[in-house]
Amino acid sequence: MNRRLSLLLAGPVIAGTTLVGCTSNSPSGAGNGELTVTSTATECQVSANSAPSGTVVFKVKNTGNEVTEFYLLASDGLRIVGEIENITPQLTRDLVVQVPPGKYYTSCKPGMVGNGVQAAFTVTDSGKKLEATGDDKALITTATGLYASYVKDQTDKLLSGTESFVKAYKAGDFDKARALYAPTRIYWERIETVAESFGDLDPSMDAREADLEPGQKWTGWHKIEKDLWPPKTGYTALTAAERNSVADQLLKDTRTLHSRTRTQTYTVDGMGNGSKGLLDEVATGKVTGEEETWSHTDLWDFQGNVDGAKVAFENLRPILTKKDPALETSVATKFTALQKVLDKHRKGDGFKLYTELSKTEIKELSDAVNALSEPLSKVTAAVLK
Amino acid sequence: MLSNYLIGLREGLEATLVVVILVAYLVKSDRRHLLPRIWAGVAAAVLVSLAFGAALTFGPRGLTFEAQEAIGGTLSIVAVGFVTWMIFWMARSARGLSAELKGAVDRAADASRYSMVVVAMLAVGREGLETALFIWAATQAAATENGSTTAPLTGALLGLLTAVALGYLMYKGTLKLNLSKFFMWTGAFLILVAGGVLSYGIHDLQEAGILPGLHAVAFDVSGTIRPTSFIGTLLKGTFNFSPVTTWFEAIAWVAYVVPVMTIFLLKVTGGGKNAAPSAPSTSLKVAA
Repeated sequence: MNRRLSLLLAGPVIAGTTLVGCTSNSPSGAGNGELTVTSTATECQVSANSAPSGTVVFKVKNTGNEVTEFYLLASDGLRIVGEIENITPQLTRDLVVQVPPGKYYTSCKPGMVGNGVQAAFTVTDSGKKLEATGDDKALITTATGLYASYVKDQTDKLLSGTESFVKAYKAGDFDKARALYAPTRIYWERIETVAESFGDLDPSMDAREADLEPGQKWTGWHKIEKDLWPPKTGYTALTAAERNSVADQLLKDTRTLHSRTRTQTYTVDGMGNGSKGLLDEVATGKVTGEEETWSHTDLWDFQGNVDGAKVAFENLRPILTKKDPALETSVATKFTALQKVLDKHRKGDGFKLYTELSKTEIKELSDAVNALSEPLSKVTAAVLK
Repeated sequence: MLSNYLIGLREGLEATLVVVILVAYLVKSDRRHLLPRIWAGVAAAVLVSLAFGAALTFGPRGLTFEAQEAIGGTLSIVAVGFVTWMIFWMARSARGLSAELKGAVDRAADASRYSMVVVAMLAVGREGLETALFIWAATQAAATENGSTTAPLTGALLGLLTAVALGYLMYKGTLKLNLSKFFMWTGAFLILVAGGVLSYGIHDLQEAGILPGLHAVAFDVSGTIRPTSFIGTLLKGTFNFSPVTTWFEAIAWVAYVVPVMTIFLLKVTGGGKNAAPSAPSTSLKVAA
């Protein structure tokens, strides 16, 4: 075995295991998170049978004449939440654990044999969130940082795409505007949940005619869409002044969105919920063909939503691997399956129009979305575990 | 006092055995010039363990129970791989000690020098953190005002010293053996030790909840062989024998010891194969 191989094997193991978990050495409450345990030859005296959740310290003193061990067991009396071994007579050793509220058992094992002396122990809810371990913090920082970069990048592309689109539309070059419409909106759809979090922008930029509130002025993408793909009857094309006004408004809103995303920060639960939110958008708007009533470019939006949902999930994956690997695998598999179904409908650089899809094909898309929705809805809870 | 002494002895034996055999081997095969590397590996492991243990004991942050177990368990399992490699490496070199082949073996030893350092480091370091945490707790006990007691610290240090002394005696003893006997016995002994280390690592990971089956017990002889007794200490310190062994540990032990021992004995007793050191052999595949 050569040097490189040895280092290759030993290095990551040592580095990896030292990063597994840190815990604070100071108890959560001022003094009330610290308990003393006296382990005698036959007894296990704990100074209290409950403690508030968070960091709990058991100071275990051995007054017996044999080596003892102290365990904190989960409610099943089997799973070890924490243990401290090699407590020799007269020695005091500390067990520091981070515990969520619930039922537990304390247990001393004088002589290191048998089932030990067990007693019920309750951890009450102190309302404090358990501090993320150093390792989790790093993972979270990485995940949210990556996602912030992604949102910025997509907004950059959305802004430059919108500039070209607006220019063509204002100049009356409708063919060019029609060609730019769907590919530009993909950037919007990828970050739709972020845009929606700025409550005022979404209705102004992405309102559909059918969803307008009474008295609401219709602006944004879909107003232009209807003007570019006008219905056969009963529609009056916009005047040049109206076109300019709606186009300028759209560009102004996009700039606002762009500047807001420069400094926007994200949380892992926001990302998890956002990922699920994007998929709900697919289920409620794109699969039904309601989003792009006039242009029928719903599948571009569909792809955009799936892209955005997938990026948020991919960024959360390292955390999910640790907390719920089964869920991680399930979500990843279903993303792949959904993409496969969607890929069937690719055409040139883009997709088939919604009107070219058969009922069976729509059902197939809808089923793939629903199959992914179910595990994806559990991601937020899992990463917060 | 005695219980502290036994803990020191147990942890000390676990750390010294592999190193002793490695040193004896190098001395026997006239490669004393490689000894400093072994000591460097040992020293590094001791210093890192003590420093890490001190930081966790006296610093603001500790290590979660899972993390502690994961470190001990993972390092143990990695150590098994390296020790296995070392056994076969030694066995392979043993056959090429005729003068014309010595050069080839020396080149092999040079190429493997980092692996030797790693073996020594892992042998001492896998248990190092756990021992260091115990030593520091004992030191704290000795240093505090109330219930101040130096017994744990003194006892543990005496136990460690005893382990080193036993290691030295073993070293002297093995030097008396002729070469082929030496390889046969130390190799077979190391395979049993490595099997125990593997079980130990699995048990740690079971306690941390990383591996299942902590409560599926294969046998429990803790009534007969008490872990706190002298014999329990020796069995634990040498073969990592645990009076309460889970199925997972027992199966892993058998699955490791039986094939490795078979291959080893076939190799050492010739096995009808011509094993020149330069020929690629199954042993390398085992180690990789």
